[in-house]
Amino acid sequence: MSDSVATESMIRLVEVTKRYPNTPADAVRPLSMEIRRGEFVVFVGPSGCGKTTMLRMINRLIEPTAGQIWIDGRDVTHTDPDELRRHIGYVIQQVGLMPHMSVARNISLVPEMLGWDKRRTAARVDELLDLVGLEPGTFRARYPKQLSGGQQQRVGVARALAADPPLMLMDEPFGAIDPIARDRLQDEFLALQERIRKTIVFVTHDIDEALKLGDRIAIFAEGSRLAQFDTPREILSRPADDFVRSFIGERAAIRLLSVVTVGEVAGRAPATDRPGEALSAQPEEPVSAVLDRMLTQNRQILEVGGKRVLAQDLLFASTGDRQDPA
Amino acid sequence: MDFFSYVSQHWERISFLGMQHLQLVLIAVLCAGVVSLGLVAATERLPRVRAALLSFTGTLLTIPSFALFALLIPVFGLGVLPTILALTVYAVFPIARNTVTGLEGVDPSVIDAARGMGMSATRRLFLVRLPLAWPVILNGFRVATIMVVATAAIGAAVNGPGLGELIFRGLSRIGGANALNEALSGVVAIAVVAAVLDLIFVAIGKLTTSKGLHV
Amino acid sequence: MSMVAVNQAEEPKAGSRWILPLIVVLLVAAVAGYIAGAELDSIESRALEASNIVEKTWQHVRLVLVSTAVVIALGVPLGIVLSRRWARFVRPPVLLVANAGQAVPSVGILVLLAIAVGVGFRMAVVALVAYALLPILRNTIVGLQQVDPAVIDAARGMGMSPARLLWKVELPLAVPVMLAGIRVALILNVGVATLATFTNAGGLGDLIEGGIATNRMPVLAVGCALTIALALLVDWLAGTAERALSPKGI
Repeated sequence: MSDSVATESMIRLVEVTKRYPNTPADAVRPLSMEIRRGEFVVFVGPSGCGKTTMLRMINRLIEPTAGQIWIDGRDVTHTDPDELRRHIGYVIQQVGLMPHMSVARNISLVPEMLGWDKRRTAARVDELLDLVGLEPGTFRARYPKQLSGGQQQRVGVARALAADPPLMLMDEPFGAIDPIARDRLQDEFLALQERIRKTIVFVTHDIDEALKLGDRIAIFAEGSRLAQFDTPREILSRPADDFVRSFIGERAAIRLLSVVTVGEVAGRAPATDRPGEALSAQPEEPVSAVLDRMLTQNRQILEVGGKRVLAQDLLFASTGDRQDPA
Repeated sequence: MDFFSYVSQHWERISFLGMQHLQLVLIAVLCAGVVSLGLVAATERLPRVRAALLSFTGTLLTIPSFALFALLIPVFGLGVLPTILALTVYAVFPIARNTVTGLEGVDPSVIDAARGMGMSATRRLFLVRLPLAWPVILNGFRVATIMVVATAAIGAAVNGPGLGELIFRGLSRIGGANALNEALSGVVAIAVVAAVLDLIFVAIGKLTTSKGLHV
Repeated sequence: MSMVAVNQAEEPKAGSRWILPLIVVLLVAAVAGYIAGAELDSIESRALEASNIVEKTWQHVRLVLVSTAVVIALGVPLGIVLSRRWARFVRPPVLLVANAGQAVPSVGILVLLAIAVGVGFRMAVVALVAYALLPILRNTIVGLQQVDPAVIDAARGMGMSPARLLWKVELPLAVPVMLAGIRVALILNVGVATLATFTNAGGLGDLIEGGIATNRMPVLAVGCALTIALALLVDWLAGTAERALSPKGI
């Protein structure tokens, strides 16, 4: 797949449906969706909303009852599922490392199945361990049980990336990791994604994680209803309905501050001619980070792209276009 | 005569019967292994049949061994064949049950990960499920073997081979000078065979289980 | 059989619960029908007389009941004592010896006792008790040890005395595992009691051994069938009792 002609759309779901025998309702109602190449899409919703089922239908671990799945311009609804999965990275919450195999062997499994030679595989293992921040010399020969939860999931990500698949499916990969390590893993993973630019479909029930990681977020409601599929910024400033509003919870306006950048907001805010020392920031920095610096350094004026803006104007310009009567 | 001089005097016969006993046990366990693994493999997709077979072989285990040995006489006569057959019947359950327990005990997330990376069912079985279930399966073989070593003694009651002969010969000479020594040598030799086999199983377990499973 | 299981009886399906007693009834009916209809010579008809069969069966049942009662009376208190904290240094060697005893053939114990001490009912009971002690001892200890420490902690936290803790919390929670051990002991005893014929203690083994010695297959077959029927019946009764006596909610 990686060598097929590049198309704008990486995943195209057409009326994909799942119904289990002897059940009255669809586990996943007919769903259509398009995910672009290099996009980081997060499926989020309460438990039982069908988001994991949806994810597992993309690599056909769960076979859809109806509908079509297109990946990289190819209809894969009826191709050999094993062959399909070898070209899609898959990361799950419980990691699922083979406990009887060393870290290196775990990572080499897919390259082995694809017939890579030993030298190429070994080189790839070291490259991937470096990529996920584990020193190859130290970790290559270790067994999963000798690793911490965070280290195990790093290996899990390396294993999914082994054959350089264009697409990664991740099912709550950081859900079982303690909050501090999770935060670090998320940051590292975002930095990693900057470099490798995979198409990622990521499932979580944590809206904060979704807002932090996703280019676009699909919010599912109970009964697998797709309530909204949009950028974090749009979701925070224009929630589609009451479900989305209650799901993103309180302080949507505050959360918005970490989603919008000072560059765009400063463009909307009035310039000030008040004298005083300004804090300068890069246009692509999120408003929340810049505000934090202003508060700690006690500056009331921000300078970005040659324009001077007052803190209060920056704040209201950030959240000013919200349409949320509640 | 004390026990030790009795044993050294009759060492040749005791060791001969011991080897017979060992062969008997190994053949029975091997047959039972083939039968058990066959049953488990054949019922891979038939969980109800598998449960029924397991409970049936489990019930066979409650049959008193003397009755089972004797019951085979009208069909197979006295001697080696009914002994091996009866011991095989007893050894099936521990092996089959542990194989099932071992395979079912494999962490589902590991299987999910294996499927998710595109491993075929055969590859999953040989690369993931069997290696992970192996310690439990091996323990089933161990339990079956130790059990069969002790049970095989009763085979002598139907003229079967093995160390049971010493026990029954001792019994038949009750009151005689060496009756106790003879029976005791049989009992001790059986315990020694069991202990040696147990140690061999521990060694096999150490050698064939991935280091990753016991760190 | 020398099978020692720590695991408990699995819950059978409502329908299959009656398969075992059905087989027992069929076996006994087949034996009765066979004896009534077959042409038997004098040795056979003497061995298969109703009074003789009833006597052998009663001897067998008596051996099993007496030895099981004794082994429970010995094994359960001993297991409780060994499960206490202060006994933790004695526990491993005792369990080691008990486990090693499992490798000794039952017929060996029976015969050694007969040669060294004497034959008959009492000696047979001693042998049965020695052989069935392990499952009861081990399951009592395991049952008590697997009680959730958090439950014990909570009970002590509310001020239960050690004796009350044992009676009200630990023992009730250990009962299922202990009952499984008693069931295994019962089944072992039915099997080993078959061998009591070799030391003149009677039982259904007499029919089997008599059939082999006199080369009378009908006697042997009846002996085997009745032994198997008894074993299945005891297993079924024990399993039923195990389910009935286990505290609800476990």
